[in-house]
Order: sequence, then structure tokens, then C-alpha cells
Amino acid sequence: MAGGGVMWVEKHRPAKLSEVVGQAEAIGSIRALLERPAEMPHLMFSGSAGVGKTTTALCIARQVLGDHMRDHLLELNASDERGIGMVRDKVKRFSNYAAFADVPFKIIILDEADEMTADAQTALRRTIEDAARVCRFILVANNISKIIDPIQSRCAVFKFTAIPKGDLVAHLGRLAKAEKVAADRKSLEEIYDQAEGDLRHAINILQAAAATGSGKVTADNIRAAAGLARADSVEGVVKAAMGGNLAKAREGMVELVKVYGMSESDFLKYACGAVYRAAPPNMGEVLEAMAKYDYRILAGSSPEIQLTAMLAELGRLGASR
Amino acid sequence: MMWSEKHRPASLSAMMGNEEARGQLAAWLKGWRKGARPVLLVGPPGTGKTTAAFLACEAFGYDMVGLDASDARSRSRISGVLGPVMGNAGVSGRPALIFVDEVDGIHGRADFGGAEALLRLLKEPTVPVIMAANSDASPKMKSIEKASKTLRFRPVPPRLLRAHLRRVLREEGASLSPGTEIRTAEGCGGDMRRMLNAAQSLAAGFDIPADAGQGMLDAQAGTDAFFAAGDAESALAALRAMRMDPREKIGTLFSAVATARLPPEAAARAMDAISEADLLYGRILRTKQWRLLRYMDAALAAKLHRATRGAGVRYERYGLPWQLLNRIRWDGRAVRSLCGALGRRMHASSSEFSTVYLPYLAYMVGACGAEPPDLSSEGGDGGQALAAALAKEAGARGGMPR
Ligand SMILES: Nc1ncnc2c1ncn2[C@@H]1O[C@H](COP(=O)(O)OP(=O)(O)O)[C@@H](O)[C@H]1O
Ligand SMILES: [Mg+2]
Repeated sequence: MAGGGVMWVEKHRPAKLSEVVGQAEAIGSIRALLERPAEMPHLMFSGSAGVGKTTTALCIARQVLGDHMRDHLLELNASDERGIGMVRDKVKRFSNYAAFADVPFKIIILDEADEMTADAQTALRRTIEDAARVCRFILVANNISKIIDPIQSRCAVFKFTAIPKGDLVAHLGRLAKAEKVAADRKSLEEIYDQAEGDLRHAINILQAAAATGSGKVTADNIRAAAGLARADSVEGVVKAAMGGNLAKAREGMVELVKVYGMSESDFLKYACGAVYRAAPPNMGEVLEAMAKYDYRILAGSSPEIQLTAMLAELGRLGASR
Repeated sequence: MMWSEKHRPASLSAMMGNEEARGQLAAWLKGWRKGARPVLLVGPPGTGKTTAAFLACEAFGYDMVGLDASDARSRSRISGVLGPVMGNAGVSGRPALIFVDEVDGIHGRADFGGAEALLRLLKEPTVPVIMAANSDASPKMKSIEKASKTLRFRPVPPRLLRAHLRRVLREEGASLSPGTEIRTAEGCGGDMRRMLNAAQSLAAGFDIPADAGQGMLDAQAGTDAFFAAGDAESALAALRAMRMDPREKIGTLFSAVATARLPPEAAARAMDAISEADLLYGRILRTKQWRLLRYMDAALAAKLHRATRGAGVRYERYGLPWQLLNRIRWDGRAVRSLCGALGRRMHASSSEFSTVYLPYLAYMVGACGAEPPDLSSEGGDGGQALAAALAKEAGARGGMPR
């Protein structure tokens, strides 16, 4: 897309498979598959955030579809679509007519597929089969255990891993040079410590830290920049809840969900991460409680009530540590 | 999502009813000069006073700073919160406007001295001040009225309500029988919010008992009776007497418990009871087995009452600080459209964009002076609402844009 604009993550998103950092195993197999594109199966990518899943899917589409990408690629994100009905309608309309002669098939990228309920996935399976005459699917998921087996078994599955330290630091070094930023190896390693293997987060930290220091990256700027991510706000909510301040925790949660539109499942994902990091002695119980409310959010009628009840439960578990 | 929130009008001119008052409000704000008298909007609940105040604020580029009846209006609070704003800009760099909702609630004991502080403030306003009240009958309101220009809001006529109801039903792909439609529009006393809440329950299959006679309790009386009840039976009686649909009933109890500051153990048990009631209600909505409803009251009366007995839980209309409610109502829509639009450009879901991209984008624009993305092709208004939302986020991330 022309103009990733201000954000380096978009501006420097790899356009070709060969530019994707890390993921040697997955990328190697995918390139082998694409030597005979006509035989490409449906694909499924799983792995944590910011490691190149969506990027790789887009690279494949670009390589297979070339100039016809515009009309032959459908991008869907299950987190944004309201239910299986919307997905089905869009897929149906898209797969209604076949591709032009010079591309082997059309491509549908369904991102965050693990956001769909098991029922919706069962319906999705039919949709995939119906469209397969004309289309190939690339399904992307954070958590592959949330994808039902009949879908997994219809796809070639690739696991994406957190970006190793060496690769991540080297890539940040190249970006820094391209953007004329002064950053020594030690600061880049500090960024790795903050972002762990999440390359998107790492690039965002680099850009924000560089902007703060007018082109010079320092340890202080890095820490401040790392704290901007809204995942930190979720961590604040969890801390307040476990410290017994339910009112404050609830207000923080409501702001994230109702003002910023954070999905309940993203909230839970980051909340789980925060619990892992805090590692309370009764962590098993805490995670069990969260799993219970993960279910209740789907089955109940008001996510706000369910998430608040979860925060109250965390308060009880926090007090009994 | 509640229809009454979702179908809120997007501009002053898209509102229903009270055309004259809305026009006067817009003209007043448009021609506002330092020293001009404040306006006081008087009218029954649900006639659009708060909505009109906010939309006027948006239309003329002001940033709303406000208080309402859920704030303790001590003298120090009023001068502490509002004093510094006078003559200063709001958080996003736009000029500030003060909005005091439900001023007629200001004279309670907790608000001792608040009215005087407010009056002093009204005498020499350096920024526009809008107040709203349900009634101006009390003697203290007279002094506020004397210092301001009064605009009256009347119940919205059934004809307009019904037109609005039909539009909402159409957009929701729902329908009611013509008879129900008329009854819903006429039975709400000109209160738009009440009408939409009732319509939403009716469309979901719930039938508010038509024979609700005397002795029925409203939300406040019912909630207070429930938590004050000495035993589970009287608690159950209070619940049964509450004349409202199950969603609202659960929501009202939830609001009361969430603001009660119970000790952790009791809070967890009380919330668990409410969570289970909501779970049951979710199941009923999906399966349309309305007969299961009778178990909801009983379960609440047993579990929730036991968990909160003697804890002094009380009705709380808002349940969240007013500032946050306003952000949800007014910023939420624009922020979410912003995240949807930019998320599509960057191959991320709206939630993902909001969480991992927006904080950085806002920081880069707000604190480091980066050029914001071009939003002119997004949204119905040339992207103005989205650009304003981004500017506000950027402003909050330190440093002012430009
Ligand atoms: N393996 C990678 N190689 C190069 N850039 C990456 C990689 N992973 C993430 N990035 C950077 O992070 C951004 C987001 O990556 P994305 O592919 O959307 O992650 P996700 O795995 O969450 O789908 C990209 O635009 C790119 O700048
Ligand atoms: Mg992705």
C-alpha cells in the first residue's frame, strides 16, 4: 500500500518472502510450495503477535497474483466481521466468478481466524469447501488450539516463532541505518529485552525512542517508548484488580473496551500475559478463573459484566495470596 | 449494544423534536462572547438536553469539561475543577466549554456550598457555560435562572418518536407489530431513551407485563429495597416488583454492586451471582426460552442477597465517573471508526490497531510533530471526526499537535 506514512512498521514491511526476518523453516517450505503455485493448498499460519504472519500471507499473495492482486485478493479479519454470516457473504460474493486466466486462483486471507467461535468455524469449513474451486485460503491465528481440527486438517500448517535476538537486533540495525538514527548495539539489545520476540513492537519502540531523542536512541527513551503500548494499560488494570481496587480496575477496563474498542479476547490475552509476568504464587488458580470468564463472555449477554466479575475474582485471589 | 447508545444522533440537526431550543442553543454558542450569560436547558429526562449540549460543543469546536450529579459538589470541588479551566484551553487544545448536568440535583446536603460556588462562577464566565436541569421548580433554581438564559426542552411528540423508532427498527432489521409500535412510542412519556430500551427488549422477544399495576417499583426503589431486605424472600419480592426488562434489571444491580466498594471476598461473590444471572439471560436470548426467566430472580435473590447482606449497597444511576461515560458516548464512536479505517490500511483488526499501533501513532504525531495520516477519504464528513479523534489522542500523548 502506497505510503505506510508515518509508521515505520508499515513503511518497512517486507514485500517479498526473501525479506521476511527469521522464520527460516516456514519460509523455506512455503517457497518450495510456491514453485508450482497451481498446486498450493490452503495454508494456516499460527504464532504470537508481530512475528510476520500477516506479512508472509501478503507476500504470498503478491508473488502469486502479481499485478492482479487488487482484484484477486480478499482480506478479512475475523475480529472485525460480525459473525459467520458476514464472512460467508463476503466470501460468496468474492468467489462467485473465477480468476482471470493468468493467475492460478484467487486468495482469501482470513486473519485472526481464532476469534471465531467453534460453531462459526464449523460453518466456515463449508464455506471454504464451496469456494475452493476458485480460491485458496490463508488462515492466520494467534492460538492454533482454538481452531477446530476439521479446518486444521484441510490446511498446510506453519508455525511462526518469536524472532530470535540476533535476527531482531540485526534487523533493527538495518532500519536504524536506513532512517539515519544513531543507535548502538547495546540500545538495540535493550529494545529486544522490552519487546521480546515481537518485531512489530520492537520497531515501534525504535521509532518512538528515536523521535523522542531527535534521532538518538537512549536507554531512558527506550523504556518510555516501550511503556506506550496499550498492553501496559491492561497490566495496570490487572494490578489494580489484584491489589483490591475493583473500581479503578473496572474503569480502566471499560475505557479500553468501550472507548478504544479493544476486543474482549484481546483484553484477556494481554491480561493473561500480565499474570504470567507477575507470576503470583497462586497463578494456576488465577488462570483458571480467567478461563472460566473467557467462556462466560461468549455465553453471557454482557461482556462488561463478565469482565468486571472476572476482575472482582482477581481481587479475591489477590487478597488470598 | 444498547440501541439508545448506538442510534444517538450524529449532529444537532439530526436530533428529533425541540427544534426551537436546539436552534437557540446553536445561535447562542455561535455568537458567544466573553461575559455572555450561561444557558440553562430545562426539561424532563430523555428529551435530549445532554445530547444537544454535546453536539453543539462538537459543532463549534469546543472541548467539554463537566460535572454532574454523581460528583460530590462541594464548594472546593466546584472551584477546584472548574476554576482553573476558566479562560484556559481544554485537554486537546480546543477552547473549553463547561457543562453542568442536573444542576437541580446540586442542592442536596452533600453539595453544601456548591450552589453558591457555582453561582459566583456564573456571574463572570470567561468560557461558555451550559447547564441542564430536569425541573426549575425549586427556589434555589430561581437564582440560577436569574443568572442565565433558559431554554425549554419538551417531551418529544409521539409522531416524531414513532418515525425515529421505525428508522431504528429498519436499521436493526427488527420489527414490531403496528400496535406494539404505537404503544411503545406513546407509552414512554416523550423519553427517547426509554422508548428505545423498551423497543429493544420487545424486539428480542421480551414482553413487559401489561398488567403492571400499583405497588410496582422503579429502578431506584427496587434496588434499594432489594439490598436493604432482611431476608431472601423480601429480596425476591423487591426484584419481582421491579418493572423493567431483565437486561436493565441485571444492569441496575450490577451498577450498584460495582460502585459499592465491598471487601474483595464479598465483591467476588456478589459479582459471581450477577455474572451467573447474565449467563442465564444470554442463554435465554439465544434459545428464546423466556420461561427460564423466572429462575433468574430467584437465583439473584438467593446468591446476590446473601453476598451483600448488611453491606449497605445502594442504587447508583451511573456507576462510572461522568467523564468516562462522556468519553464512551462521544469519543468512543470516533476512536473506533479511526481504528477501523487505519487498521484496514495497515492490515490489522480495529482492536489490534487500537492496541499496538494507535498509541505509537498518537505519540509520534502529538509529541514529535509527525505528519498525521490523510483521513479525508474516511467517514462521511471528509474524515473530520476521525482527524479530530486522532488529534485528541495525540494531545493526550504529551505535546500539542502543531
Ligand atoms: N518476520 C518479520 N520480518 C520482517 N518484518 C516483520 C516480521 N514480523 C513482523 N515484522 C514487522 O512488524 C509488522 C507487523 O507484522 P505482521 O506480519 O503484521 O505480524 P503478525 O505476525 O502479528 O501478523 C510488519 O509490518 C513488519 O514491519
Ligand atoms: Mg497479523
